[in-house]
Amino acid sequence: MKFYNYFHKLNGYLSIALIAVLFCSNSIWATEVSKHIGIFYYKNIFGHIHLNPTKDSVSLTTIACGHPLNVTDTFKSSGVDWFIVNIDKKKGYVLKEFVSNQKPLCFQEKYPKFFNSLNLDLTELYYWGRLYDQYVRGKSRVQ
Amino acid sequence: MKIIIYISILMFGLADLFAQSISPSTESSNEITQIEKEISVVDFDAIKNILQKDKLDQSVQNKQNEVNTIQEEREKKKLQLYHYPSESDFWSFASELWLVRNAPLLKWDFNKPDYGIDISFQTVLETIGYYEKKFHVLLVNTPTLSHIALPTNNDETLFIISVPFIRTMDLTKLEISILMLEDFFRLEKGYLYQFVKTSELVEIFGKNFYDKGVNPAVVNQVLKKYSELIFQKGFNFQQQFEVTKRMDSVLRSHLKLWGAYNTLLNKIDQLVKTNLLYDNYNRIYPSPEMQIKWLTPKAPLI
Repeated sequence: MKFYNYFHKLNGYLSIALIAVLFCSNSIWATEVSKHIGIFYYKNIFGHIHLNPTKDSVSLTTIACGHPLNVTDTFKSSGVDWFIVNIDKKKGYVLKEFVSNQKPLCFQEKYPKFFNSLNLDLTELYYWGRLYDQYVRGKSRVQ
Repeated sequence: MKIIIYISILMFGLADLFAQSISPSTESSNEITQIEKEISVVDFDAIKNILQKDKLDQSVQNKQNEVNTIQEEREKKKLQLYHYPSESDFWSFASELWLVRNAPLLKWDFNKPDYGIDISFQTVLETIGYYEKKFHVLLVNTPTLSHIALPTNNDETLFIISVPFIRTMDLTKLEISILMLEDFFRLEKGYLYQFVKTSELVEIFGKNFYDKGVNPAVVNQVLKKYSELIFQKGFNFQQQFEVTKRMDSVLRSHLKLWGAYNTLLNKIDQLVKTNLLYDNYNRIYPSPEMQIKWLTPKAPLI
């Protein structure tokens, strides 16, 4: 009888624990899937979506100015703000300062025929995107 | 069960709405509108009398005016596609295009440590009273180009500095910043603009090329001029004298900075006299030895 009561109690605890685990896992899953900061647009002439949040990380893809990005989260690495974006069902990183929440007036959209006449090849598109990653930026301020 | 069905319908609706909001518009401004189709299909001249009799001639005229306005707007939009960049948009684009086209030669796409040049140069600018100045620095991994400031728009300056050049002379952050300041004044004086800005380029700024067709040779010529100045021709003695005097006048009241400039020029002078890799430097920036003389205060006559 005593053994039966003990077993019954244990069963009750296990059920509660199981429900708690299910609830937690469900809420974590829900957070990952539903987190969505918004649609942002790339600002520079060309750019890269990186595999990791570093400027020298591998490029997942090259994007052009005005490209819409589905931003799912933010990430801070060594004092630099990154946006986590979904691109071709993959997670990538783009520098926060390179994107805007409003569609920018891009050079290639402002002067499309002139820009097309340059006949940029794939290597040049890649390098143009890398250029913004390689810049060291600064600004003097009023003291 | 009903709730699940309602939620599903709601989610599908929202997803559809979201997809519509981010997908590009399918409606093109080049498509012929319904009213244009109507006007083109019906021969109103043939039924002119009937229209006048039914007092519909004014309505036809209104429609015709509306079609004319649509067609004018379309033509205007079409012409806008065929513009050369304005000068206010051109320089950043041209400098970046030159960097992209010369990327294999300049070797700027490489991993490098943070030298802290941004903070150091920012401090120098603030010390001499140059506020709200934006700048970009691109480090190159080649001795082919030692240092230069390239023209950009939006009140920014683009500096190119060679890492082998910095390392060979073991320059401090302050000396690198002083070197950048010299380039900053050189750019401010407009020597590079004067050399690169061809008459053909000035002619096309902001112009429309719908009738004539685009002339890519103009841009290629500008890029060639960039290369010619940066790799071969450089700056002349008069320009160097003016830049050195400008540096002298600005830095004289900041002894630490003036001293750093003097040390920098001495280091460069030694480099160009001893290192064959930099024997071209004197041709681009003539000459560190003369700059030191121009900078050194004249001894008072006794």
